Amino acid sequence: MNILFNSRLLVLLLSSLLFCLGAQAQSSAAPQAASETPSGEVQQGKTLLQSKCAQCHTDSIWRDQRQDARAWEATLYRMMGRGAVWSGSDIHAMASYLATDFGPHSPRVFTPQ
Amino acid sequence: MRDLVGQYLSKSISRRGFLDNMKATGITVAAAQGVLSSLNASAQTTKSVESSAPPVVKTFQGTGGACFAEQLMACGVKYIFGNSASEDAQFYEALVDRPQLNYILTPHEGPGAAMAAGYIKASQTPTIVMQAGAVGLMNAMGQVFNAYKEQTPLVVYSYRTDQSKRAGRDGFEEIANQEQVLQPLTKYTWMARGSSMIAETTRHAFKSAWTPPFGPSYMTWHSDYTQERTRTEIIQQSHFDTRMRVRPNPTEIEAAAKLLVDAKMPIMIVGDEIYKAHAVGKAVKLAELLGMPVTQMRQIWANFPEAHPLWVGNAPSGTLSSITWPKQYDLAINIGNKMQHNGLAPIVPHNVKFIDMRIDYQNMGKVMTTDVPLVGDVALGLDDLIAAVEQLLNDRIRAEAAMRAAEVRRYTEQARLLLKGIVNNPEWNNSPLIADRVTWEVAQFADPDAIIVHEAGSVAMHSFDFNPVGGRELFFYYGGHLGSGVGTSAGVKLARPDQQVICLVGDGSFLFGPHALWNMARLELPVITIVYNNHAYAGPHTRTIANVPSGRMVETGHYMGSYLGNPDMNMASIANGFGVQAEVVKDPLQLKKALARAKAQTLEGKPYLIDVQVARRGIGWTETPWIPPVKGRPMKQKKA
Repeated sequence: MNILFNSRLLVLLLSSLLFCLGAQAQSSAAPQAASETPSGEVQQGKTLLQSKCAQCHTDSIWRDQRQDARAWEATLYRMMGRGAVWSGSDIHAMASYLATDFGPHSPRVFTPQ
Repeated sequence: MRDLVGQYLSKSISRRGFLDNMKATGITVAAAQGVLSSLNASAQTTKSVESSAPPVVKTFQGTGGACFAEQLMACGVKYIFGNSASEDAQFYEALVDRPQLNYILTPHEGPGAAMAAGYIKASQTPTIVMQAGAVGLMNAMGQVFNAYKEQTPLVVYSYRTDQSKRAGRDGFEEIANQEQVLQPLTKYTWMARGSSMIAETTRHAFKSAWTPPFGPSYMTWHSDYTQERTRTEIIQQSHFDTRMRVRPNPTEIEAAAKLLVDAKMPIMIVGDEIYKAHAVGKAVKLAELLGMPVTQMRQIWANFPEAHPLWVGNAPSGTLSSITWPKQYDLAINIGNKMQHNGLAPIVPHNVKFIDMRIDYQNMGKVMTTDVPLVGDVALGLDDLIAAVEQLLNDRIRAEAAMRAAEVRRYTEQARLLLKGIVNNPEWNNSPLIADRVTWEVAQFADPDAIIVHEAGSVAMHSFDFNPVGGRELFFYYGGHLGSGVGTSAGVKLARPDQQVICLVGDGSFLFGPHALWNMARLELPVITIVYNNHAYAGPHTRTIANVPSGRMVETGHYMGSYLGNPDMNMASIANGFGVQAEVVKDPLQLKKALARAKAQTLEGKPYLIDVQVARRGIGWTETPWIPPVKGRPMKQKKA
């Protein structure tokens, strides 16, 4: 009966060590092209994402998502109600990065268990 | 006849019972009524010269059921939550002439127990929930689990269907050692060994539940004991349940005060024991004295005013490391938080000095290293700690505290400003609505002292500015057995009729326990229930993927247990079935209008439900999600 209870989510949450591992996993899963020639905002967004999102979770909770910048912005705004303290420009930059490396046409990497 | 007179004057039997018994001895009705009149006159005269307070201890004779009712009254019970139980017949019989005890029939034991727990949480007064034997108990157990995890003093009773002279035969509804089923979920569980022990067992159950740290208790007995006549003592709650309030060790208080004034960046964690002890003002005072930032790990209540400049927000993932600011704390002090661990890392890291103040001694020192344990009632502990800190204050410490407070204020003002930007979500005006828009609209709508019962686990709670001192109050959950929200709301409204009560519930949670809607309609408990209906178990969906990222589920889109649609369920229709007016809304404008209609209904004493169609968001969702290909029709071999 406890299937909606989000304690399971909390089980997944990060220590800083897990963050480092998560960031590596993210790099290996993401296509290389975009990150080789990042624009300033995209690079800034990637840096912000790695520092801010890791407060609470690993990339396992979002790395399979593929969507455009607007939808990524909506995703990030949803985190504000959960305690994320982000500015609109932070969100815009992180969404720019995510739409570059995790956009609608970015390849997926499946790793069957 | 002397016995009968004694029983009548001691209120052990009713007027009707007296007359019936007199008739049974051969006395005519007219003569019996004459005796009764003179007894009433005599009783009136005596009453006028005596105190109206009930005796501390009285001897009572009657059925086991009547003894039970008498002791419940002496325990201070006003409401009894129960589901129909034929073997409790003599208890029901006793209720007829005891209008002080109000029986509330609940159509399912689980939501019934949630309603009782909600009443306790909101009133902080005793009540009891009862079920029919082991079979009813099984339905209630989920909410007993919640009460145990959340430390709610819920007293539970169900009889053993097997009577004492035929127990042990694996009879109808019989299980062996029924009371032991509840052992891991209760502080106290016991089977009374005879009718004369019913009252005493009841006292033990209430005393155990209401002795801090609170928790549920369970009692049972063979059903024939309830029918049997017996003689027993009835004792007032004030003289068996001392509600002990323990004061922390003074030496440890001094050590804690020293650590606090020496810390560069102390941080305070607040928890439910503060709410229970009515000590919010004291927690605020200690924080202000030292300019300490304040946070909270997941609890039932908001235990600190969220608009206070020292409030830095809830810890998003339940560990201190997940708060955005401050990061460089060198000391943490817990005031009454249960500190329930959900991961490997300790909530307070080992390299941070830690003062732990709470009455929940069993959970202290389990995971976190503790420099100063302060076992005690947090209201008393805060009094002592504030006094000890004040003695150590000097100009330098005051100046440091003021500088720290200013630094915290700069952060919290900025954080609050940024949170207002939540309305800039590009999907803000979408239809179906995003969950944050629903929450925001409800926050704009709610009364300044509304109570928000929240069982929408995957929905973020924001924009309410909860304030447990005269402002909006939160009743959340962390037990995790779902289906508590609607029942809790009904119980809260029963306890707090003068405050607006709004129940926020996900469609999945709602479906586990909507039954108390019927109680809202029957008892005229005008709760506004908002269902975030995305036709999905959205939280488990997201967490399932996080547990197996990039796997076959993601590759194929085959998510086994996520989608609740096809066909879509209509929660408004379900509410209508329970006698509650309701409607379905699909966009923000419709929601505003529906909330206005809900308010109008509730002002007339009627509950209302709004089924808000909410967008599914996250990995793998499509307009028509995959469902496992199981259909009955292709399996048919013939028309049947």
